[in-house]
Amino acid sequence: MKMRRLFAFTRRALHQFRHDRRTLAFVLVMPLLMIIVFGYTFGGEPKGLNIAVVNNDEAIAVGGGTGEVSFAEELLAYLDDETFIVHTYSSQQEAEVDLHDARVWAILSFSSNFSSNLAQRFSSSGDATKVSVVNIMVDGTNPTVSSSVIRGIQGALQDTLKEIQSLFQLPVSTEPITIDVSYDYAGGNHAEFIDSFAPAVISFALMMVTTMLTIILFVNERRYGTLQRLLVSPAKESEIVLGYALAFAILGIFQSIVVLVAAILLFHITIIGNVFLALFVVILLGVGHQGLGILLSSGARNELQAIQFIPLIIFPSVLLAGLFWPVESIPGYLQPLSYLIPLRYAIDAERAIMLRGWGLEGVWIQIVILIFFAVVTLVGSIVLLKRRRE
Amino acid sequence: MALNICGLGMVERRVRCPSCKAVVVCSGNPGEIVHITCPTCGSLGKVTFPTDIPSVPLPVDSSLVVQTMHLTKMFGKFTAVKDLQLTIKAGEMYGLLGPNGSGKTTTIKMLCGLTRPTSGTAVVLGEQVPLKNKMHLIGYMPQDTALYIDNTVHENLRLFGEIYSLSKEKLKQREQEVLQFIELGKWRNSLVSTLSGGMRHRVSLACALLHEPQVLFLDEPTVGVDPELRATFWDYFTQLTQQGVTIIISTHYLDEAGHCSRAGFLRHGRLIAEGTPDELKQKMNAASLEDAFLALTKKVDS
Repeated sequence: MKMRRLFAFTRRALHQFRHDRRTLAFVLVMPLLMIIVFGYTFGGEPKGLNIAVVNNDEAIAVGGGTGEVSFAEELLAYLDDETFIVHTYSSQQEAEVDLHDARVWAILSFSSNFSSNLAQRFSSSGDATKVSVVNIMVDGTNPTVSSSVIRGIQGALQDTLKEIQSLFQLPVSTEPITIDVSYDYAGGNHAEFIDSFAPAVISFALMMVTTMLTIILFVNERRYGTLQRLLVSPAKESEIVLGYALAFAILGIFQSIVVLVAAILLFHITIIGNVFLALFVVILLGVGHQGLGILLSSGARNELQAIQFIPLIIFPSVLLAGLFWPVESIPGYLQPLSYLIPLRYAIDAERAIMLRGWGLEGVWIQIVILIFFAVVTLVGSIVLLKRRRE
Repeated sequence: MALNICGLGMVERRVRCPSCKAVVVCSGNPGEIVHITCPTCGSLGKVTFPTDIPSVPLPVDSSLVVQTMHLTKMFGKFTAVKDLQLTIKAGEMYGLLGPNGSGKTTTIKMLCGLTRPTSGTAVVLGEQVPLKNKMHLIGYMPQDTALYIDNTVHENLRLFGEIYSLSKEKLKQREQEVLQFIELGKWRNSLVSTLSGGMRHRVSLACALLHEPQVLFLDEPTVGVDPELRATFWDYFTQLTQQGVTIIISTHYLDEAGHCSRAGFLRHGRLIAEGTPDELKQKMNAASLEDAFLALTKKVDS
């Protein structure tokens, strides 16, 4: 393999992009349009969210000592079990570690006097100044999830309050009673939908552009006979494939930087992680999809047939990779399929890097999977091209 | 070991006995199922005759640029080229002549290594096809122009120059030379997609010439080219042979082949006659090569 020949293919492809202004515009406008359109209009209702509960609440005696009640337990019982999967933790520290490592979306902590303070406050002889606090700590990186968590917990709170009202036989006309909730956003910043959408759009846009352009590039290579012509030359398949991979990597970096800069300027998104690591991950995804594009291009005889592959790639990715709504909100039987979609790993890694500020130690699994995907598809396409000799 | 020819297309090959795995020599047609009696274990068995190219070296004659032996290509049951024996010397302009579908393109593709022969061997510049070490010494101009149409003429030439590892200075010099040769210097920075069909043909030729090949394979370079440009093309080719380039050219415009130093008539994948244009005409007592070909086909058919 000669680097000069490899670069020759890179340069050719880049020149082609340069001459084709409309395609270049598409590369940039498409992701910006996605961010603007979807970023403002979308909101889903996720399900099956893992949350941590640290319950130190002590039950109190009610009804003249005939029974015991813990209002914290009551509140937990009112949580919608379709929305939440509750994990009980014994210490706040443990729960916070898991929140930080994204194993749970939120922590609900009840202090030991949660029930007794509530009872004190509402019983006729009690002390109304006692305050019951449920502390909610939410992962702020995914606003769809954090708003769902908060909405879900507030719903359960309302239900608990109704029960308390009937227990203490308070007249319905009484001022609404409240339980104080303190919110705490983990992950350094309280992301808005657009913040968590930007890392996903960068990954998705690069995947689309690379797959589409590669399929068309190679369909044309076959149709115009250039690929056959190269057989009668010292050019090697590895030089062709890697040369074009480099061209797409350069195009991808260019695209991602433009999208990021636009998102920062237009929507004031915040990136707390390492931008270079984020670019590296997105490029890995692009290179893998370039290989996939070459493999798919062999199944298409012309550009029209090539276009038909696009929905095949896009729909599973859009629906299953966590682009708009978290993977947790997909029906359970479909969730295992999301593990087969490379975009999922890229989006996971991009969000972790850009919003949580994770480094290599946090996203190495995703990176290994993406490297594996890229190596398999690139080696596959080199083998495929070697077989083009009739 | 020399290749033994056992009949039309039939060759002797070594296969393995299905029961004891001993080597058995048998003859047959590629892809055919043959019955063998194993001399080692004595059992009867069926084996599929190998379809790969027998890696048997031909006795190499260094003055020959192209040498083929029993070159055969089958697409399924259709025989595109049958039992072709060609010898082409250095400095020749050899014309492969024949109507559409006679096997000209398949022959050129086999000589370039684009298509694997079903059986038989081709040797170019003393190396068995597909070439490895001598790849940089051959040039190929395919029937379709095979250029990157979304790149400029210069970008196409530069790509091919870099593929052939020409130095920067050499590439610059050769680009100027070939552009002057095809008279398209003014169009250097035009996108190929904006050029006319004839211009694209000339650029395609330039890409094949850039690395100064010793042998040039031209697959129907004059198809779809207007008469004026066809004449220009033949001038180019004659100039190239004068510079010492060996040219193998296919065409179905039979009378064009008067420019060739030697030509072969192909029909249904077989070489039915070969010689200098004058010899071919004299042989059939014909005024033109076209008449000679028609007379010849009549004779072969009867």
